[in-house]
Amino acid sequence: MLTIKDLHASVGEKEILKGINLEIKPGEVHAIMGPNGSGKSTLSAVLAGRETFNVTSGEIIFKGRSIVDLTPEERSWAGIFLGFQYPIEIPGVTNVNFIKAAVNEHRKQKGLPALSAAEFLKLMREKMAYVEMDSSFSSRGVNVGFSGGEKKRNEIFQMAMLEPDLAILDETDSGLDVDALRIVATGVNKMRRPDNATIVITHYQRLLDYIVPDYIHVLYKGRIIKTAGKELALEIEKKGYDWIINE
Amino acid sequence: MKENFIYVPDLGGHDFRCKVPLKNTRQQFIVNGRVQGGESPFTLSLKENEVMDQMLQIIGVRNEEHKGPLSFSERFHFGANSKGTIIECSHTFSLDEFKTEETMDIVLEAGASAEFFIMQNEHNKAEHYLNCNVEMAEGASLRMVFISLHGGVIDNKLNVNLNGRHAECDLSGLYLTDSKQLMSNSIVLKHLVPDCHSTQLFKGILDDEGVTKFYGGIVVAQDAQHTEAFQANHNLLISDSAKAFSQPQLEIYADDVKCSHGATVGRLNEDELFYMRTRGIPVEEAKLLQQMAFAYEVLSHITNEELRERMQSLVEKRLRGEFAHCKNCSKNCC
Repeated sequence: MLTIKDLHASVGEKEILKGINLEIKPGEVHAIMGPNGSGKSTLSAVLAGRETFNVTSGEIIFKGRSIVDLTPEERSWAGIFLGFQYPIEIPGVTNVNFIKAAVNEHRKQKGLPALSAAEFLKLMREKMAYVEMDSSFSSRGVNVGFSGGEKKRNEIFQMAMLEPDLAILDETDSGLDVDALRIVATGVNKMRRPDNATIVITHYQRLLDYIVPDYIHVLYKGRIIKTAGKELALEIEKKGYDWIINE
Repeated sequence: MKENFIYVPDLGGHDFRCKVPLKNTRQQFIVNGRVQGGESPFTLSLKENEVMDQMLQIIGVRNEEHKGPLSFSERFHFGANSKGTIIECSHTFSLDEFKTEETMDIVLEAGASAEFFIMQNEHNKAEHYLNCNVEMAEGASLRMVFISLHGGVIDNKLNVNLNGRHAECDLSGLYLTDSKQLMSNSIVLKHLVPDCHSTQLFKGILDDEGVTKFYGGIVVAQDAQHTEAFQANHNLLISDSAKAFSQPQLEIYADDVKCSHGATVGRLNEDELFYMRTRGIPVEEAKLLQQMAFAYEVLSHITNEELRERMQSLVEKRLRGEFAHCKNCSKNCC
């Protein structure tokens, strides 16, 4: 599904990713952990195509083709989804118009006709139920006045609407109470299939109680310094990162 | 209530029709400054307690029958506790170099309540100078929204005097420029007595070599205590060569007031753009959504939903670079 080979990326003169290697197969869930400033959010932004970061060397192969030169929207059409740590508020654009524009653009790229109003409404109701979202959200401005939990639910709702092959969830657990965390994680789990994959970026072990990863990678100073199974999260919770860094 | 009737004004045989798209609206044409089927200058006078049962749409048209400079005026008198809504549209129907000076005199007696929605949609060689003078008595309330869609020069000057206590005035405007268009809004709003409330929200989207000017004057007289006056002017630059000038000018002589002003000139927000693009919305469409979102704050001041939606679609067409004419109009020249 996704192969990252010796990926280097920088902002201006500053190199942030210093040689990332990662292989993700269909059906897998990978967690990326690491201390603040290790490059986790940069990695997710680079995968989604943020132009502020320069890929200086290395490769990103998604479903058999290099995506380094693709725009963010082209990557979205190809099947990559980024769930934001801080979802952006867009006053004046309603949630329903926003997601309708996104869904219909995806359909257009696939050569499918736009959904009728009734079909769209049905799809939206179904997917909103995934994250227990109230229908009143749809007429509100995108993320405007949403609580932290509502914003994250909205991210997962959008993901459910777009059905990506690869979802990258950047700190989806930050700012969530236990109930919201459970709702968000349940939503993600409902979407898991043998033919899609998920990257979960997180600080804390508790999200991984709900979304159980196949692999955990520890990112430090722009490199993956350790890869292990799900039990690594518990160890990090107890002992922190120092012992890994010192290894 | 007449719906979708076709109004054919006497325009000397010219084929101009306007289907009334808005429910419960009476239309009045002013062609080259002359009131159609009535006396000039146009006068609207509401008696005490009179409530207009229909909105009045004034359609100001200029065409090739009068190519020279033109000035005309309109008078609005709202008696005590009267209430009404006026829509005014300005159009040019030929490509002559029109120069139009329009004066609107608005008087609101005690407790009167008025809404004015003004849409300016003229061609690139047309110049439109609007002078708007407002006098407001105690407890009167006024809402004015200026949508400056298109025009070579649009120059709006507003003088508002709050003469009676508890008067409320809400002014807002959206101006869109491209090519070498010049749009200017100059406001002098005077709080002359205590306890009045005013807001100003003016926003602009500037493309190409468009130039806009905002002058926002607020004067609070010495005994106008408990004045609340808020002003904001925000400008979005789409191109590198557009220029926005913004000049808030507050003169406050009272000491117990709440006043604020804010002016910004900025570009499209990169974080928002990236967010939308990760959802598969192409960059050009994402930019348009952002501009519509920026414009919406002003459009939301249009209380009539049908009118608001129509304005919204005109603004969208305009920002897409399409002809911003109503689908209800038989002329596609503005």
